[in-house]
Amino acid sequence: MKQHTFLGAVLGAMICSSTAWAIEPGDAAPAFSVKNTKGEEVTLASQKGKVVVLEWVNYECPFVKKHYGSGNIPKLQEKYTGKDVVWITVNSSAEGQQGYLAATELGERSKKEGNKASQIVLDTDGAVGKAYGAKTTPHLFVIDKEGKVAYNGAIDSKDTTDVKDIESADSYISNAIDAVLAGKTVDNAKTKPYGCGVKYASK
Amino acid sequence: MKLSALFAAGLPFSMTAFAAEKSGHAEAGLIAGVASYQPGKTVPVGIKLKIEPGWHSYWVNPGVGGMPMSAKWTLPAGWKAGELQAPVPKRFKTGDLPGFGYEGEAIYRVDLTPPAGSSGEAELKVALSWLTCNESACVPGDVELSLKLPAGDGAASKEAAVLAEAEKKIPKSVDSSSSAVFEKDGQVVLAFTVPGGIDPEGSQAFPATAEVVDAAAPIVLKKSEQGWTASAPKDEYANGPAKAYDLVLSGGKLAHPVIVQWRGK
Repeated sequence: MKQHTFLGAVLGAMICSSTAWAIEPGDAAPAFSVKNTKGEEVTLASQKGKVVVLEWVNYECPFVKKHYGSGNIPKLQEKYTGKDVVWITVNSSAEGQQGYLAATELGERSKKEGNKASQIVLDTDGAVGKAYGAKTTPHLFVIDKEGKVAYNGAIDSKDTTDVKDIESADSYISNAIDAVLAGKTVDNAKTKPYGCGVKYASK
Repeated sequence: MKLSALFAAGLPFSMTAFAAEKSGHAEAGLIAGVASYQPGKTVPVGIKLKIEPGWHSYWVNPGVGGMPMSAKWTLPAGWKAGELQAPVPKRFKTGDLPGFGYEGEAIYRVDLTPPAGSSGEAELKVALSWLTCNESACVPGDVELSLKLPAGDGAASKEAAVLAEAEKKIPKSVDSSSSAVFEKDGQVVLAFTVPGGIDPEGSQAFPATAEVVDAAAPIVLKKSEQGWTASAPKDEYANGPAKAYDLVLSGGKLAHPVIVQWRGK
């Protein structure tokens, strides 16, 4: 197969099934520029030198309700922003899809849910979600200080909607952030995310 | 038409409508294959899930995203509930995410067994949890169902025919003792044999074990020297070699769906 047609096929495959692949730990985290609930610009570039967590959200999804209703995610947000981690909650629900909220409403709803993230951003056209291959809500990514993806996957090891499963689950996200903060390699750097599909625009 | 004429005509006439509980975008109900139980003898039970058009529910291996239905039984002392047996699923996509599950209607099977020496009316209760999704949203369903059965001669109920029909979609285990799993060029291959009289030619294969093979890829069935092989790309989330692999085969020349169940040593 000629070199350029092979590349074309690979790119074509990536574009056609944009959430069917997963960004590998060690890959450079894709750049992004989005607006937060106050209309301010938030970019990956401006977090340079910090550990960044990206957390995909849809407040109507029963898996997200498990982790917010129990206070699990807000506790993690509070703990790690206290350790100088930049935690960014991303809403990639398209207009008309479950979980979509306009900026002000997303801010108000997030406050109600106890969200303690550094930033809550709108990715309504799904560009950031698709760049990262965000598949479910929740879906977590940890980016190290060098701008490389150190973790891509589930929040924890129990892929259920039951709040009772949180305590006994292996907190993949805590383990990943702790490892990155300590300058260690992340065990289990890629896990299968669980949740509702991210509600991108329907085709 | 007079009631007596209806009976005379031998038309099916059910005195009890199917009692279903609705939650979210589906409704569920219990079906017993017998009108009474006999101590020590298994009662065949069905769980019928009826899903609103445009929505789907998920299989034991839901694919990417989604959640299988769970059943938690509350039974009288000594009664035992067998495994929840799911019918053959279909493949679908929710956005870009590949999934396995159901649209329309799905009837699961469970065997409930009363202890020897049991008597009196038995109340069989189950708490069901499921998830239905479409392209735009995911909505859970939670219901509590109950079925009362008197002790008796275990004669067939009026729903026995419905249950018998549903059983045709529940995969039957085949002797998997000579099956093997190996990896080759990024593919996971399940090599298996089937007893005489079972022909998987032209059938569809579905991975019942999650994170073994890529949910989006069709599983390729080929005849081999010893029997058959089922090949598909390894799941990107597989953590090392597979320790277990259950594969459902349905359709083609199969008279009945089957399930091959391989366990690693």
